[in-house]
Amino acid sequence: MKFGRLFLLFSLIHFSALFAQAEESDFYQEKVRPILASKCFGCHGAEEPKADLRLDNLSTDLLHDRPAAETWHDILGIISRGEMPPKDEENLTTEERRLIAGWLQTEIKKVIEAHRSTSGRVVIRRLNRVEYQNTMQELLGVKMDFTRDLPPETISPDGFKNNGKSLGMSSLQLEYYLEAARRGLERVIVSQAEPPEVHKYTFDKPSGSLAAGRKKSLTLDRQHTFCVRMVDKYAEQGNFRIKLEVEADVEGKIGFPILDVSVGYQPDTKMMLTSCGVEEIQTNGLHQFEFTGRIENFPLPVRGQGKFPGLMVTVDNRYTDGTKAAKFEKDQKQEDYEPDFPKLTVKSLEFEGPFFEQWPPEYHRAILFESELREQDEKQYVQAVLERFMQRAWRRPVTPTEVGKHVDFFYAIRPEFPSFEETIQETLAMVMIAPEFLYLMEPAGDNKRKLTEWELISRLSYFLWSGMPDEELVRLAKNKKILKPKVAAAQVDRMLKDPKSANFFQQFATQWLNLDGMDRVAINPTYYPQFENSLRDEIRDETIQFFAHLVKEDLSALNILDSDFTMLNETLARHYQIEGVRGISFRPVKLDSKEQRGGVLTHASLLMANSTGEDSHPIKRAVFLRKALLNDPPAPPPPNVPELDAENADFNQLTTREQLSRHRQDEACADCHINIDPWGIALEQYDAIGLWRDKIRRKKHDSNQFIEHEMVTSETLPDGTKIDGATELKQYLLKHRKDDFSRAVVTKLFSYGLGRSLELTDEETIDKVHTKFQKSGYNFRELIQQIVTSESFRVK
Amino acid sequence: MANKSWHFDRRTFLRGTGVAMALPFLECMAVAAPKTAPAKRMCGIYFPFGVSLPKEDTDQAKWRWFPKGEGSDFTFNESLKSLEPLRENLTVIGGLSHFKCRKMGAHDTGDTFLTGAELTGSLLKNTVSVDQVAAQAIGTQTRFSSLTISTDGGVGEPTRASTLSFNDKGRPIPALNQPQQIFDRMFGAGDADQRKQKRRLHSAASMLDLVGDHSKDIQKKLGAHDKAKFDEYLESVRQIEQRVARAQSWLEIPKPTLNDQDRERLELDADDQAPKLLMQTIYDLMYLALRTDSTRLITYQIASMGDGSSIAGKFPQLLGFKGNLHNLAHGWNKPDGAVDLGKWDQYQAEQLTYFLNRLKSAEEGEGTVLDNTMVLYGSSNSQTHNNNNYPLILAGGNQLGLKHNQFLKYEDTVPMTNLFVSMLNRLDVPTENFVDSTGELSELFV
Repeated sequence: MKFGRLFLLFSLIHFSALFAQAEESDFYQEKVRPILASKCFGCHGAEEPKADLRLDNLSTDLLHDRPAAETWHDILGIISRGEMPPKDEENLTTEERRLIAGWLQTEIKKVIEAHRSTSGRVVIRRLNRVEYQNTMQELLGVKMDFTRDLPPETISPDGFKNNGKSLGMSSLQLEYYLEAARRGLERVIVSQAEPPEVHKYTFDKPSGSLAAGRKKSLTLDRQHTFCVRMVDKYAEQGNFRIKLEVEADVEGKIGFPILDVSVGYQPDTKMMLTSCGVEEIQTNGLHQFEFTGRIENFPLPVRGQGKFPGLMVTVDNRYTDGTKAAKFEKDQKQEDYEPDFPKLTVKSLEFEGPFFEQWPPEYHRAILFESELREQDEKQYVQAVLERFMQRAWRRPVTPTEVGKHVDFFYAIRPEFPSFEETIQETLAMVMIAPEFLYLMEPAGDNKRKLTEWELISRLSYFLWSGMPDEELVRLAKNKKILKPKVAAAQVDRMLKDPKSANFFQQFATQWLNLDGMDRVAINPTYYPQFENSLRDEIRDETIQFFAHLVKEDLSALNILDSDFTMLNETLARHYQIEGVRGISFRPVKLDSKEQRGGVLTHASLLMANSTGEDSHPIKRAVFLRKALLNDPPAPPPPNVPELDAENADFNQLTTREQLSRHRQDEACADCHINIDPWGIALEQYDAIGLWRDKIRRKKHDSNQFIEHEMVTSETLPDGTKIDGATELKQYLLKHRKDDFSRAVVTKLFSYGLGRSLELTDEETIDKVHTKFQKSGYNFRELIQQIVTSESFRVK
Repeated sequence: MANKSWHFDRRTFLRGTGVAMALPFLECMAVAAPKTAPAKRMCGIYFPFGVSLPKEDTDQAKWRWFPKGEGSDFTFNESLKSLEPLRENLTVIGGLSHFKCRKMGAHDTGDTFLTGAELTGSLLKNTVSVDQVAAQAIGTQTRFSSLTISTDGGVGEPTRASTLSFNDKGRPIPALNQPQQIFDRMFGAGDADQRKQKRRLHSAASMLDLVGDHSKDIQKKLGAHDKAKFDEYLESVRQIEQRVARAQSWLEIPKPTLNDQDRERLELDADDQAPKLLMQTIYDLMYLALRTDSTRLITYQIASMGDGSSIAGKFPQLLGFKGNLHNLAHGWNKPDGAVDLGKWDQYQAEQLTYFLNRLKSAEEGEGTVLDNTMVLYGSSNSQTHNNNNYPLILAGGNQLGLKHNQFLKYEDTVPMTNLFVSMLNRLDVPTENFVDSTGELSELFV
């Protein structure tokens, strides 16, 4: 094993060297081939090769001979599983097998890396879903779901969703971009000169009906909802505004009340409602709230159809008391309001729609701005409108020729379109299917060049906001000041303070730590009857908020390995059985050492994402740790490995650790798993929903009964260190693997910031930035500044 | 009635311009779409609340919807008697249902008749319907990729949808419900929506042209890796250009003209006050749409499950039956109720017979239009409130490899989606799975 690792290192260092090929051939000739010759060529040689496979003349240039590479890959699997040589022939010694496997793994890794390589350059990057949604929303100034029809995004091999090489384009996708642009523009550019009729209702008592399960009332608690219905006249387009006044009684109650206002309708026996605002109320007395939304984004009844016509607004008090939501049947018997629960009483609700401050609305004026030109010289006006819009959409200045083409298009289609506004809509749609809008355009030939100031501000804003540059960045591009590293570094500070940085915290944490893995695990209710799926969002949020907090508060990145706090709200604290946290907002909560919750490894999110939904999955947890936190992903399992289970019936009786160690009795498996399993075993104290446990529960095969197993959490790491449990694992990581971890952080963040995978040629830059990161006390803000001022970030 | 234009056309036509107008449709079409084999088609027709199913040993047994006997040895009861002459063209199917819909509210399953989805949860999200799966594969061969009709029109609301068709995102496709409107779309000059569509197609063509040229200029400035990636964009532009061109060419091809007889027969001002006329007119239009190859895929929801709000709820009363649809359906387990409902079943089956006969009357290739058209007729309840054992008839398609003249009784372990898989494959839309399917229904094949 040691030899294998050394060898790996050796070959990596020489990978880029010109004569690497010759040297490795020597290795094959001197070390590998003699073994194959003595133990394999007998059957797989020139004379009547078995299975039609000849090894003696199989090309060893895996990089250029794809079929040979595939064959070698199969051979690796067969040898690792011990299927060859056959039982009646002389077997390979352990030493020999490792030598062959080591050589093959290195060669295969090279093939994979060469395939991924983009010569150290960012490949033209299409906006991903989140970036597209944000950009559309900022450009048009309205909130709408622009991505509903787009196909799901491809994830890069290193787990990121903003990797230019992985992000594809298809005709279907392009068609939907055109459709989304038209749909958005139709809403933003209004055709009618006169403002539409406004409907305004004020309610001080409930009206309409609710689907079975709720009762209507002014006072809101577990079984009572305030609802109103507007039947004939209500807006079906545009914004709406809800003004709500409620009185709260929170004194000495369980939890705070949470106001939830929803808009929708009642299709027969169901309710279709979408929430337009949630507010937690922490003090007694009267409170006023205002909620706004775009009516088209909510479920709307079809006029003239349906048994219960009309638009509905409901107000719920959706605090939780830690028990399962009250069942209606149970509540029905309980006519009185429950005294222990916080009460809300609705005083009045006003619904106004369409709601606008002026006509045409602001977002319309932002594009079709008011100007005398429109009357005096339409063509010039069209030109000015287009120039303004194109600059924003394309995130750079546009040339008169570019504008001219669009003006020509406008006049070419003008006769066919019924109005000026509709012609403009169509022309702007063309701006929004252009590559300049859909991609981060950095046209450059085969040689590297410096980014322009405009390209740089886009890289910055898509890095830290997942959206388009704002006015300040545009100003700094115009005067070229952004090209100064100091200015760019100062912008990082400003941008991280902006609420839009929430995109960065969420996107990076989710992609780096693969939080989406949670969605792929279904929690088995037989094992965890108390687990509610609504908790998933909060579980995921803990990790995102934790990362955000480290960045915003300038805390050391080492907190990710272990910390004396975590981010909690009331429901999540209850899940962890931590007392004294009230309210829905996340805040740092100091941890007692006995709680064993410090660092992300013991966040419920990652424990759950790397579980089976019934039990822990030590291998997945270990692979996660090595991949995300140490940037040392284990080699993928050889082809056709048998499942870790068992032909023998009593496998289920064994503890997980025993199961794994039985698996490692197979020497071939052990080679890799000796450096995987221990990392996961240390986390065995946490179950599939991330809770502490003292026993492992496993359901019997044929019944609903559970058997309990003792838990073993100690294991020996490959370097001989014995660790027991999560705390020791964290201590070990901090003490012995700190550098690997911090280098992994640098690599991952760099990769995300650039939108490409890192290669060997980036090593030097990574080293430099890494050293500074260490010196800064593992400060994320400074790391981001290092990244955006690095050469790699500033060239194409 | 605002739209009487068609009657004017007919008079003009009768005055003598007919010779020029009566060019056979196939000749017009031949320019764009040369014909090789006859088209393969599919219709889905739905009625709500199930059928009358009195026990076989009761006095009302003859009003049992399902036939007596099994296999090729079966006898129609009263309800389906009108279909007797069409025995060789149809199979009655019992026992099937959508597994995922069994746990749903009994009145909630209309939406899923052609989708097989589980419509629960707070978003009530459906999935693609079988006709739309086919439309994605063969829809480009005709002017309209599919035609969606219902008595109520529009989309209705989730669990009470007034359409049978759902797109690949599970969103409802609005149904047409006015004969005049359907006629205008198929054979008339086009409505406002179509003009908008035409306008946009036209501008999209020049838009893509410009974007494509512009992008080729960009391509020249790119390095090797970017070039390879950017090719995807250029290729996409080219593909949409072709698609737009094809869509446009349909706009340029004159719509099919109808012969005298067909025109005389249509009652385009039929409305929901005259149910029989309305149903027959819809069936006439479906027949014409298929015969002229304007589309090969049609769904028709005769009534929705929205009992209080469905326009079709009152049809039985208007026709002199005892009660509205829902009341009739609820009476199935009372002796008189079973008879009342049975009579309504019979009435609906007579309308189906009318449609099938029309399809059979039109010759095409070696056989008839019916031989190349699979018509699935049925409900998502057996009796009301029961989501098992859907009453189903699969008619037509004799030339598509279907075996008929049989009554097939399936166990409740066979998912109805197996029927969809079987139908899609007969349409030459290669399909292995549909929702929870486990294979095909081989008993249906020759």
